[in-house]
Amino acid sequence: MTPARLGAAATAILVALLLQATLVAPAMLSAQLSLPAVLVAAVALELGPGAGMSLGFATGLVADLGSAHAAGLLALCWLGLGIGCGLLAEPHRHAAAQALLAAVAATVAGALATLGLTVVDEPGGTALGAVQSLLPSLAGNLVIAALVVPLTRRLLRADVLRGSGDG
Amino acid sequence: MTFPRRPERARRLTRRQRLAATALVAVALLFLTIDVTGSGLRGAHGGVRGALGALYRGTDGLISPVRRFVQGVPDAGANRDTIDRLRSENAQLRARLAQYAADASASEALSRLPTTSVPARVMALGPGLGFDWTVTLDVGSHNGVQNGQTVTDGVGLVGRVLHTNAISCTVLLAADPGSGVGARDTRTGELALATGQGTSGFRVSPLDPAAQLSVGDQLVTGPAGESTYVAGLALGTVTSVHTSADGMTVAQVRPAASPTTLDLVGVIMTEPGAEASR
Repeated sequence: MTPARLGAAATAILVALLLQATLVAPAMLSAQLSLPAVLVAAVALELGPGAGMSLGFATGLVADLGSAHAAGLLALCWLGLGIGCGLLAEPHRHAAAQALLAAVAATVAGALATLGLTVVDEPGGTALGAVQSLLPSLAGNLVIAALVVPLTRRLLRADVLRGSGDG
Repeated sequence: MTFPRRPERARRLTRRQRLAATALVAVALLFLTIDVTGSGLRGAHGGVRGALGALYRGTDGLISPVRRFVQGVPDAGANRDTIDRLRSENAQLRARLAQYAADASASEALSRLPTTSVPARVMALGPGLGFDWTVTLDVGSHNGVQNGQTVTDGVGLVGRVLHTNAISCTVLLAADPGSGVGARDTRTGELALATGQGTSGFRVSPLDPAAQLSVGDQLVTGPAGESTYVAGLALGTVTSVHTSADGMTVAQVRPAASPTTLDLVGVIMTEPGAEASR
């Protein structure tokens, strides 16, 4: 990974977590929207599973440590999100299809994380809540993905960040 | 535009990627095990929360006008009706307050309530998911805030302080699914356990199965000295009551303090009723 990409990834993680906590989550508490998850999916869909898993794990771990629940849960879920979306990477796919995929994947990862909270008996999630919030979460994540995916594609295809993908 | 070194299709993980994925899964499971079974990661949690808390404080100044606008969008057009309804409710509540003032037992209970609180503003929610039922406030140990202290929005119960840093603190909302609050029905004096249901409010089960809960009953936190929370704070209003086949009464309660519209709150300055779990 080039220094430019490393810096960009660190900045992206920080900005995504800050915006999630101060803007996205307070704006719609009744759904499970996650800007960081959509970002992980968008990067993985563009760069493949290697970049997806690295970004997913790092973002999830920072989010875990900054939250009240047990560390490792989001790291695990977003690691899977990065790998799953990375395996679906397709350079010639239309941005709208990529946004749809990112939103669906982020919603599924969010539901799995909520189920994970119930499995480890942590506060914050119930199985019923995970199921009930699926549709509103998908709608919200679609809005986020419509903004994040084109921006991510443009940034990752910029000359300064363009480097080796992971094959 | 071409991307020569990017894979046309990446359908399978390479051997190196499989190894990396396995290692990362093992590390995540290790973190999970350590954190669930003990407090080995308390320092790491505190460090990251402190760093994020400082960043929230900086970001909040820029973001809060946008956030308030976005939060107000669903209520656009309904504010006039809300103000009228609140004025009407306010008049009713003033009348009810006058009645309560004459009640000696209520007066005694109210006198036990602490009167000092530190005003605070909600800066952020949990950084991971929308269902992280914690908020970060812009006050911390420098302001006298301690773990376990009760937080109110001036109307009802918001939650309790879970972690404190120098300049910020994390509050676990009472609405957190799975969290329990000791409650008292102001009409009958019966004790009950209220369980958080997220945005749906609370689910309440009276300790005495024969207790009578009715729609419209007001619940407050309590009893004093035995609850995690300061006693006497409004918890909510019973909106429906169901009795199961085995005779158990369960009520749904609309919260007095809505978790979705939190902004200005107060941390009540008492000795904490209980230590935070993590």
